[in-house]
Amino acid sequence: MFLSLAIPALAALALIAFGTLAGIPAMRKLITVYEAKHELKHGSTGWLRSIGGWSIIAFWLMTTWFLATIIGDWGVTGDLDGAIARSWLRLRVLLEIAIAIMGED
Amino acid sequence: MTAPVIQSDLKCATCAGQCVYDPAVQALKCASCGNITSLETPDDGAAADEFPYDPLAPTSEVQVEFDSIAHSCETCGGTVTFVTQSLSTRCPYCDGPVVVDTQDSGFEPMALIPFRVPEQDAQGFAQAWVRKRIGAPNDLAGVVAKARVAGIYVPFWTFDSNELIQYWASYRVRRNKRTVTRQTSGALQMRFDDMLVPASHHVTPLIRDGILHDFFPERLRPYRAGYLSGFAAEQHHQTLSEGLERKGNEKALLIRNRIKRHVNKSGVHNIRYHTDTNGIHYRRILLPVWILHYSYNGTAKKVVVCGIEGRAYGERPFSAWKLAGYAAVLTTLAVGLGLAWGAAGLL
Repeated sequence: MFLSLAIPALAALALIAFGTLAGIPAMRKLITVYEAKHELKHGSTGWLRSIGGWSIIAFWLMTTWFLATIIGDWGVTGDLDGAIARSWLRLRVLLEIAIAIMGED
Repeated sequence: MTAPVIQSDLKCATCAGQCVYDPAVQALKCASCGNITSLETPDDGAAADEFPYDPLAPTSEVQVEFDSIAHSCETCGGTVTFVTQSLSTRCPYCDGPVVVDTQDSGFEPMALIPFRVPEQDAQGFAQAWVRKRIGAPNDLAGVVAKARVAGIYVPFWTFDSNELIQYWASYRVRRNKRTVTRQTSGALQMRFDDMLVPASHHVTPLIRDGILHDFFPERLRPYRAGYLSGFAAEQHHQTLSEGLERKGNEKALLIRNRIKRHVNKSGVHNIRYHTDTNGIHYRRILLPVWILHYSYNGTAKKVVVCGIEGRAYGERPFSAWKLAGYAAVLTTLAVGLGLAWGAAGLL
């Protein structure tokens, strides 16, 4: 029981580490967008260029969340293959959201 | 032909001392006795006049030799002029060493907005801007505190134009659980009024949009040496066609954004358009900025403060550790939520 929980827990810690590394450019973009929204003239070319590309933040968070849901499912059921199979529907919904976000960015 | 800089105009009528323009009183102030001399004249309102541009008529722009002291920067290659002997041997743009050059020639500005923000205030605005940076290194404020601001008049264009735009675009819609692409077309009109375009590569459109939110033509004054006294100035070297080309690059992005809003659908892409431009009017002007230079980890950066309203914007470094810390917090939250979601067996 302990061993079956330890591996998903390790996977979750690894996900936090990789998510943090992958999130550094996204955090930089988040700060740039925040500063642009508060300091650049709204509707100007500088403002449009600065806020463009914000979808990287959403993609990073969605990917992290999605992988964590598989690990959560795996931790409870102990069945990694089943957890991956059950995540397909979730992935399809996320891809729809991602397409919508790309359209707005 | 440019008005010659008569050094006696910059001499104090009371003590014959050297006068420099003081933004605090918005007039010439004698450096020796403090006597104030106004530069205002009854016909100053004419400085806001715009000049028509006819693309079919040949343009006859005449370059003039500026009767001022030109300094060339050995680092960035910029040329700035001073109506009086420069007190600084550093470039106002990049803080590199400058050398006295031969005479500078270019196109005479039609008007300028004089400095309204004094140096001390500009220094404060620049420091305050740096202190408010999220995710900046802890020692950044200390590094910037040692830097000084330099005042310079930067060349800008203002352009007016009417655009009659015809466009074609694609957008995405959901139909029966599938995403399909539809075509659309339409027409719209846009008017650009006093669109500010930098005529110097030292001030980027991004910095312009950070420091110049509003432009009031009534603040324009005729181009006079007195306003430049005590400050550096970069003169206009771009031809009108070069200015219009720069405006075209800026305009294209604004038109595309306007078309997106006009289509008012999700996922607008593949935008094509044709625009008929008319009613072009322009001005060659100088706008006042304070530039603060600093170097962080060997990289030169600058903070620019608007000399009219004091708004600051510039370049800043990020702290990798702070960014990693913020990313770790958000990642942990996303992972926590995802684990709970997956454990609960939700969708």
